Amino acid sequence: MKKIFFIIGFLISNNVFSILEIEILKGSDNLSKIAFVPFGVEENIKEVYGSKISKYIQENLLLFGEFENLDKAEMLSYPSSEEDFYYRDWKVLGVDYSIIGKVNSINSFGSLSISYSLFNINRRIKILEGEIVGNEDNLKGISKIISNRVYEEITGLKGIFDTKLAYVINSNSDTYQMCISDIDGKNEQILFTSSAPIMSPDWSPDRKKIAYVSFENGLAEIFIQDLSSGKRESIQALGMTNSAPVWSPDGKSIALVVSFSGNPDIFLYSIRKKRLIRLTDHYGIDTEPSWSPDSKKIIFTSDRSGSPQLYEINTQSKRKKRLTRDGNYNARGRYFPDGKSIFFVHGNNGRFQIATKKITSRYIETLTSTSLDESPTISPNGNIIIYATKNGSNGYLGGITLDGKSRFSLPLKNGSVREPAWSPLLN
Amino acid sequence: MMNKVLTSLNTFFFVILSVSIIFSLFSIPKLDVEETKSTRVNFYEVMQQEEKSLKTYPSNKKLKKEANSTYENNDKREIDNISKIPKFEINKSHLKNEISKIKLSRERKDILRVSTIIQNRISSIWIKPNSLSDTLSAKVLINLAPSGEILNFIMTEPSTNKSFNDSILSAMNKLSFFEEILVLERKLFEENFRNFKLVFKSSGEID
Repeated sequence: MKKIFFIIGFLISNNVFSILEIEILKGSDNLSKIAFVPFGVEENIKEVYGSKISKYIQENLLLFGEFENLDKAEMLSYPSSEEDFYYRDWKVLGVDYSIIGKVNSINSFGSLSISYSLFNINRRIKILEGEIVGNEDNLKGISKIISNRVYEEITGLKGIFDTKLAYVINSNSDTYQMCISDIDGKNEQILFTSSAPIMSPDWSPDRKKIAYVSFENGLAEIFIQDLSSGKRESIQALGMTNSAPVWSPDGKSIALVVSFSGNPDIFLYSIRKKRLIRLTDHYGIDTEPSWSPDSKKIIFTSDRSGSPQLYEINTQSKRKKRLTRDGNYNARGRYFPDGKSIFFVHGNNGRFQIATKKITSRYIETLTSTSLDESPTISPNGNIIIYATKNGSNGYLGGITLDGKSRFSLPLKNGSVREPAWSPLLN
Repeated sequence: MMNKVLTSLNTFFFVILSVSIIFSLFSIPKLDVEETKSTRVNFYEVMQQEEKSLKTYPSNKKLKKEANSTYENNDKREIDNISKIPKFEINKSHLKNEISKIKLSRERKDILRVSTIIQNRISSIWIKPNSLSDTLSAKVLINLAPSGEILNFIMTEPSTNKSFNDSILSAMNKLSFFEEILVLERKLFEENFRNFKLVFKSSGEID
């Protein structure tokens, strides 16, 4: 009732007088603070299950530095149900969100039912609740599902905690390994080991295959490897060298670079028909193609203007458009998931950094502060970029959130890590 | 004969009248205002001039005294200065306007100052959702008490993005007072801050 009067009052005053408007453009540099309350457990269930689930959810959500957590020791209570939850206990601690839950047993074979709730402390409302049935052996998997849902509720973006990363490890001068792992670096799998360089991995849209370039036969050759069977297949393109494969979003074709008599150009390779279609034909070097999200355009690097710059080509009309003009080095361009912006490696005064640019604008924004960055790849939700960079001679993977609030490096591997490729989301 | 005399008299008086009218017209003193010599008085200059004039001409009595003494001393230069005084007084109405302008500009400055403080306070607690590539906008109407207490707020024009709207509501719920309001005059508060709008904008993270 009070609200109705308030609205009526506003409407009247709005019509009679002009109301002062204050514009708010800048947000806080602070991060949202989350309390990961240890999940409660049913009487006959090990207490450690509850604390493990909340710990895994916490590890996931804090992985990219997007949130701050409340230390468990600071918590005033450990509620596991809404009845025991008091907003004031969290408000006084400056908490923005609180996650609680409970583990219940379904049967004696280890099946569990995990219920969870997410509260917005400032608004004093429950914003999410759910229940997952799983096995006690899969607490990490269950935690990833809960983490994804919580992340989406808070940020409005798809959760990415069950995505994977492909990369190349060069452990010594003559050992190259094509690897994949969970996005947190765990569950690493070596797909292929070679004494010759391996480069440019790219995921198929269904996440079942990876295409990459291997020099095992002396020349750059593209292989497609099935992840479940491990079977490898070479693309029998006609050129001297074939490189930089990128799967189209519909999974039907691969954009690649084929070099006939030493002049690299962009081609499309139909996976079903095993046929090549030429897209560019220029005496300059055309390389590093990447698809637009709608599969209609391809961005590529070309030195046709005298220095490496980014161009866009329409795959149907083959009309080309130059996308970058500032700086004498702009390469390895990729589209954002919304297709409106691109990110790439921008070279300026000997520093090579990851930069972004709206396609319609001329303005380039540099994101990273390191100076030897390469091979950027973006999370499927368009919020985080991971790239290869160097600390001395050792290559590692760094990351940054697009708002620039968080910069992080992924756990170090035994060797130099290069060429990261973020997997698509599981449908 | 008589008619002729009368007609000639009429003509004579008519001529006399016409001539006198023409003379009287030419005898009206002409205002000698040269455009190049006229100056425009801005409000900040008025302030300075006001202070100056108070120092130079403390009172009318003193002015008259000075004028008399100058007459007595027969100093032509001083007489010229005195002759400027009435000109300055003629601009008083203009000055009144300028003073009211100053008052308005002071009010505007107060409004701007408080608005900026409110803007900064909101910015310091509003955690913008990440990766908003669209240009979003949402408006919140706020109802304040003269004490600065937020009596109520409502999102009158939400954006199309749920997390953007949620982030604004979360930020608004963190606030209960705008103490800055207390420094304002009651009239200014009633006119500007009793009900006001916050327009939250996301110009996109990549501009």
